[in-house]
Amino acid sequence: MAGYFEEMGWRELEDGEQPDHLLHMARFIFEFGFNEDFNAREWPKLPPPASQETVKNLPETTIESDGKSCPICLKKFNIGEKVTEMPCNHQYHTTCISIWLNTTNSCPFCRYELPTDDEVYEQFKRNKKRSEQKQEDLAVLHNSMFS
Amino acid sequence: MANIAAKRIKREFKEVMKSEEVAGGTIKLELVHDSWTELQGEIAGPPDTPYEGGTFLLEIKVPETYPFNPPKIRFMTKIWHPNVSSVTGAICLDILKDQWAAALTLRTVLLSIQALLSAAEPNDPQDAVVAKQYREDIQLFNLTARHWTNVYAGGPTAIWEFNQKVQVLLDMGIDEDQARVALSTFDWELERATEHLFS
Repeated sequence: MAGYFEEMGWRELEDGEQPDHLLHMARFIFEFGFNEDFNAREWPKLPPPASQETVKNLPETTIESDGKSCPICLKKFNIGEKVTEMPCNHQYHTTCISIWLNTTNSCPFCRYELPTDDEVYEQFKRNKKRSEQKQEDLAVLHNSMFS
Repeated sequence: MANIAAKRIKREFKEVMKSEEVAGGTIKLELVHDSWTELQGEIAGPPDTPYEGGTFLLEIKVPETYPFNPPKIRFMTKIWHPNVSSVTGAICLDILKDQWAAALTLRTVLLSIQALLSAAEPNDPQDAVVAKQYREDIQLFNLTARHWTNVYAGGPTAIWEFNQKVQVLLDMGIDEDQARVALSTFDWELERATEHLFS
């Protein structure tokens, strides 16, 4: 049964912890699909800033070839210039990308998402991933039975 | 205006001027009284749509915080489209709102708006009346959009029957744009449009 809580994205109550009825109500609504309409939509506004820790730890690289420019200010990089590199390998001036990541959490070029400090948004992302996984599992199951 | 915004618009302007689309006449970008905060865009109605042959002007306002916030863009040329307000020209397009990214440019935004003319999103409407017509009677929608393109954007196809009906309301002393909106809204039924205008 260890997998049960995990699959539902829940956790067991701690010793002496009381159940949160509001949370249960919310889960009930969620599980029975009353929120389908809402859930089908994307995050209703610009996603929150990237977590400060992640931004601070983005690696710095040196420009070695000519012809590339910063997608934010569109200025050409000079050879030997130090720039910040995102995990998706897109390079930006450090000041340019920090202003952007202070607004929202994704690469301006390819929308690769960095983690945020916003608990609600992270929960939204986990739910979305979980429902995508469910869909995929269903498709696999369906194909294994009917193909 | 903040330095980074002005500098970037200048660089973008150069990029647009060199682009294939400008050479091919499908998009255009001009400065409005030599400031970098206000520009005028122009897109050609895409082929095989009711907007074909029309030229649509767009008002572009660049915020101080550009490119970290999207430019504010609306249609100055009146257009009948589910994702554009037939009254104000306001556009419902995700990249102009929550899906904005700093690497998008005025060129890519104008191309996206042009793409929106080819592929409307009636389930995410800006103008509920237009979207309803789009969903319920696509043929009538296409005719109406073609008529608007002819009247406001210089499109080639005049719809004789619609022009006649607008003229009837004009003769009653009703403002032309108002008459056209009312007729378009009431599926070109003269009686219902008249009733609405006089109620």
